[in-house]
Amino acid sequence: MLHSFYSTPMPTLFFIFLVLSAVSAICLLYPKVSPNYVPIHIGIITLPPLAALIALFMNHGSVSFGPFRFNALSWLLAFFVLIIGLIVQRFSVRYMLGDLYYKKYFTLLTLITITDSAAWLSDDVRLLLLFWGATLFGLILLIRLKKEWQISKNVAALSGQVFALSFLFLMVAAIWIAQATGEWQLSLALSDHSLAQLSRWEKTCMSLLLVLSVIIPAAQWPFQHWLLNSSIVPTPVSAVMHAGIVNVGSILLTFFAPLFVGEAARMVLLIVSGFSVLMGTGIMLVQADYKRQLVGSTIAQMGFMLIQCALGAYVAALTHAILHGLFKSTLFLQSGMALHQHKPINKLTGVSAFLWKAAGVGLGIIVAIGYWLISPDQGYQGVSAIILGLSMTIAWIQLTAYDYGRIGRFIGLVILAGVTVVFIIVHSALNQLLGETVQANIPLVSPLTILILFILLLGSALSVWLAHHPDSKAYTILYLWVVRFGEPKAHLSESHPKHLIKILSKGGPLR
Amino acid sequence: MTTTLSEKFQSNIRQLDIKDVVEAASHVIHPYGPITAFAARDPWAGMERQPFVEAARRIKAMNNVDILPNDTMLQAACNRGAINIDHLKAQLEDWLDEQCLDIPEEVQEQFCWNQLLQENKSLQQPLKNHIKNAAKKLKHLSSEIIESGHVQTVSQQLQSLGLDEVLETLNFHMIKWCKLFLDEGQAVWAMPHREEGFYKAWRKLVLLDPALNRGIRKELAHTPIEADEALNQALHDLNIPQAQIQTYLEAHLLTLPGWAGMLLWHDEHSADNDSLLMDYLAIRLSMELALVQPYLPIQEQAEDDDELIEAMVTSWAVWGGMTVNEWAHLSFTEQKARLVLAYRFDSVQQHLLWLEAWEKTYEDHLKKSVTSKSGSENQTQIALAQFAFCLDVRSEPLRRLLEKAGPFETFGTAGFFGLPIETCKLEHHHSHSALPVMLQPQFKVNESLTETELKEYDQRLSAQGSAGLTFETMKHNLLSSLLLPEISGPWLTLQNLASSFIPRSATNVFQKLREKWRSKPNTRLTLDHKETDGGELPVGFTEAEKVHYARQALEMMGLTENFAPLVVICGHESESLNNPHATALDCSACGGASSEFNARVLAALCNIPNVRQELAKVGLVIPEDTVFVAAKHCTTIDELEWVFVPELSDQAEAAYQQVQVALPKVAEELAAERMPELPNVGLKWASPKAKALHRAKDWSEIRPEWGLARNAAFIIGGRELTKASNLESRVFLHNYNWRNDRFGDILMNIIKGPVTVAQWINMQYYASTVAPHYYGSGNKMTQTVTSGIGVMQGNASDLLTGLPWQSVMQSDQTIYHDPLRLLTIIQAPDDYIQRIFDHNPDFQQKVDNGWIRLSSIDPDGNWKDWA
Repeated sequence: MLHSFYSTPMPTLFFIFLVLSAVSAICLLYPKVSPNYVPIHIGIITLPPLAALIALFMNHGSVSFGPFRFNALSWLLAFFVLIIGLIVQRFSVRYMLGDLYYKKYFTLLTLITITDSAAWLSDDVRLLLLFWGATLFGLILLIRLKKEWQISKNVAALSGQVFALSFLFLMVAAIWIAQATGEWQLSLALSDHSLAQLSRWEKTCMSLLLVLSVIIPAAQWPFQHWLLNSSIVPTPVSAVMHAGIVNVGSILLTFFAPLFVGEAARMVLLIVSGFSVLMGTGIMLVQADYKRQLVGSTIAQMGFMLIQCALGAYVAALTHAILHGLFKSTLFLQSGMALHQHKPINKLTGVSAFLWKAAGVGLGIIVAIGYWLISPDQGYQGVSAIILGLSMTIAWIQLTAYDYGRIGRFIGLVILAGVTVVFIIVHSALNQLLGETVQANIPLVSPLTILILFILLLGSALSVWLAHHPDSKAYTILYLWVVRFGEPKAHLSESHPKHLIKILSKGGPLR
Repeated sequence: MTTTLSEKFQSNIRQLDIKDVVEAASHVIHPYGPITAFAARDPWAGMERQPFVEAARRIKAMNNVDILPNDTMLQAACNRGAINIDHLKAQLEDWLDEQCLDIPEEVQEQFCWNQLLQENKSLQQPLKNHIKNAAKKLKHLSSEIIESGHVQTVSQQLQSLGLDEVLETLNFHMIKWCKLFLDEGQAVWAMPHREEGFYKAWRKLVLLDPALNRGIRKELAHTPIEADEALNQALHDLNIPQAQIQTYLEAHLLTLPGWAGMLLWHDEHSADNDSLLMDYLAIRLSMELALVQPYLPIQEQAEDDDELIEAMVTSWAVWGGMTVNEWAHLSFTEQKARLVLAYRFDSVQQHLLWLEAWEKTYEDHLKKSVTSKSGSENQTQIALAQFAFCLDVRSEPLRRLLEKAGPFETFGTAGFFGLPIETCKLEHHHSHSALPVMLQPQFKVNESLTETELKEYDQRLSAQGSAGLTFETMKHNLLSSLLLPEISGPWLTLQNLASSFIPRSATNVFQKLREKWRSKPNTRLTLDHKETDGGELPVGFTEAEKVHYARQALEMMGLTENFAPLVVICGHESESLNNPHATALDCSACGGASSEFNARVLAALCNIPNVRQELAKVGLVIPEDTVFVAAKHCTTIDELEWVFVPELSDQAEAAYQQVQVALPKVAEELAAERMPELPNVGLKWASPKAKALHRAKDWSEIRPEWGLARNAAFIIGGRELTKASNLESRVFLHNYNWRNDRFGDILMNIIKGPVTVAQWINMQYYASTVAPHYYGSGNKMTQTVTSGIGVMQGNASDLLTGLPWQSVMQSDQTIYHDPLRLLTIIQAPDDYIQRIFDHNPDFQQKVDNGWIRLSSIDPDGNWKDWA
């Protein structure tokens, strides 16, 4: 112990903190521990993400620590998972107060985040499976924690089934790779030397298994149901689910990137996730229930992340996964603010409006071309450039072509500039950080790029056309289909939450 | 030719009928407006024609919802001594006397008492077939004892046969159509054909709905064009007998009372004649017809009368110690009497007796603290400042502490101050009806600025919202939405971290920046009369109206003489973050909003020299030095904040300074009184004031304050009655002096307005506690904001319209709000009370039927119970 501490201080310290957090989490299970201990627990679980953050900045190269591997990627993932866990648990301290299972929520949330972060530190395939499996299992326990509520048990059963399927696919793929290459250690199994032993069809089958395994947690079509029906969990649990569980695809595919080179698996992934982007966006647009809108958006975002993976842009995918996690957890936690009373804003008219809009379009084109020229990810750059350019145009027009007054418009442009600068800084920092550890030697895959551009642009054009033709039959048909995609299952919702009375009387004395 | 005409005529009659039937059926639900103006509503306001206990039985039979406190609540109350068992005994004796049954007194008392206490259970339970045999012999009596059952919908009947999915599917589809149709801009893509009306849009969509299988869609292809015809046809095809139509529709309305209530609210607030509720029922019954088709005809349910008789025989065996054989020795009338007693003494009746005992115990407690301590009437010292508060229970402790803090006098009155106005603040797009929901606004008062000031202010507002709006626009575009997390993620993360780890400072900084940027100019109120065109409300008051409303407000609060130099009209407002139910903590008398605006209007009216001259003519002399100012009581953080302070006279200035000095100490004391009541974790060493601030500014706070929880009584009388006692923030206080009300008009107004508002508040808290799943809004942690108008629970549910679980519960298993019916206490001679009954039969009905309780204190201090 002492020895390892001197040779690898940060990993040792980090593991000590993890164990400390786990012990604290388990202590919460004892009935005698008062809820007043929870704030202390929050203090303890602040340590591991802090350690991970410091290590991330101090990190040089890759360090092995027993069966674990520490490099920029694994430190970043550990930090991300743990910080989400910390934020959500800090939120729950007051938000969940009074709940019958108050302390258990913290136990499970802490354990889930610990196993989730440990999974991405593991270099041994068996360990990775163990930790990831434990995370999924913990999540199911978390979903069904309110066991008096029949619906939550049903949803846990549904999620359990699909998670088991996903886990099975991953397990088969991982064990197959290990058997075929004779290596349990991931970095060795996926080295060029080992992979050379595999035949083409083996690689394709393994890749397909991986694809199946990752589209389930990402709630991609046709596996969207578990996420769509899990809006019954408390808001903080949703935040964890949407931030730390659904995006596992980007991590797994990054890990297995050397294997994931065949056309077929990528094509399957691309088509599934391309369709899911359209479906998820549609759900977000038609649903009137705020949490369901967020679910729709997550499906679309995860689709986009998997498209990035399919195009070989792993750094972009991980960046997206992490930023989306932080974004979506915040939106969930503040879902109580979904009610707004906006006073409509006056649009500008005439020449000045036209000029501002034209400037926006021009700026968008410049940004798109500029990005195309400097972007590092070959295959993905076309898609990215178009979206960036369009986003710039939309933001510019929204911030200038309205009646904000001079100072207001100036501030709007300052905001735009600030956001752009931060966007560039964050992206280049992550690029630099991940560039060393994440393989990006993927050849330019032009047919796939063109296909996905086609899907996205067609979907975009369709949505614009439909938005302008709400009286058409096409709109009605599409509307109803998207509503149907986004609805929960009838038996997983109930008209009134009857379990509340049941909980109140639970074990209570009868007069 | 003639036949078709007469057919047409007949169908017209039928249509007229069905409209009336729907109208009549709608009384079982209550209109609910959007959550953004959460005004208290009594879910049972339409049922007051029947006694409370009957309504309870009916709701239980139709929906299996219990509206009396359950055993756990009663046990908890008992354990902390809130129910005096002597009262229970007395209530039981009274009830048994009313029954006049031919059973020996000790036998019936023992039977009921054992059951009430669940004690002395007979150890020897008779065998099941013995019971069956005995019941068989008594069966001939059942028709004389058991009243006819309640109507169930066909889908409910299927459910009781174990086929849940029809009702489930029906509810699922109704929830879907309601949320899509009623959406107020939360979804980006609107429901197609929405502008054609609910039924017509549904009719066009349902035929294309992929969520229904083809068979059902085929069934629905032939639904009539008009809603009323569709409803008639569905009723006909479902074979509902003419006499049962209304109850059948009622049963349907009660399955999703929230969505139906929202539609009803829209009907009440829209000018056109089309009834959304009719549309809703037409859709619901048409779908029911299509969905139950495969299961028709339904087998008649087995007679459950037998089971009922068996249960009665069993309960006599268990609680009355009566063996099965003993029945044979009884005469026919004795048998009948015993069965009648067992039938009438059902669980509803038992729980009602417990509730009444609980209420009586509280009444004793209140009586003691009011009568033992009531101070002397004659006030020697003239007050330096007078405060008029909303009668809200939260003002009671503040008033008590203020009065102790200096030569201050306080008054209680309804928080809308009698002003029937619709208000529009500069920041708001829509105007708000700032008065109790049962009244209609008659004037409009706006905030106003000069044109250039307004333009600049609007620009600043727009610029402030521009970042958020850009976020929304990008979110709604397929392509840019994909990049949005990467663009906004870092910023949201910053916000998230700040809100999580330094919630108070983060919120403070953010709010200060926002206010600084907005820098709202001093606005004027449009008090002067201006005629508007197009049938809208007139803006402002005429001179005579100004005098009238100022006088009415002052008379209502009992402030007609001995004016202090400073009169503070206080509204109130809560503060919380991330809380869809924020307005439930505001002023219900102002329709679920801050009452600051109304306070400002009244203060301004009372300062107008003309108004004062006119008031002086009727004997209401306001000294020249007296200045009216407006403030708001921030209920979450215990502060009193000035909202309107005109130029002060020297004396008023001196009073103002003294108030300023007293306020911080009062706030400290109030927080110290309030904070221990709220469940807390961590923040052990913080001062009570800091804890209160934290609750208002933390985005994760689930209980920002208790609101009006634990409200229990309403005292209409002089302040001297209550001044010396601590009423624990449970009592609504309205000033009233019967000596100044010779004709009883003021009392009549108090009963009509403020008492009704308080009763509705009380009933809403009551209902949300006893049936949190049905009348409350469920658990806040699993709510989702829907359609911009309310919340649903979990994946989808009824629109939940009441108070959240956390607003009435200390924790999942400890209730905080005591579910007691409002006890109204009027300090006036008996003939005043009788006069109200004569003039307001609705109120008498409420009292007689047990929807509100009434006591009075006569001039000699005698307490009289009017129930």
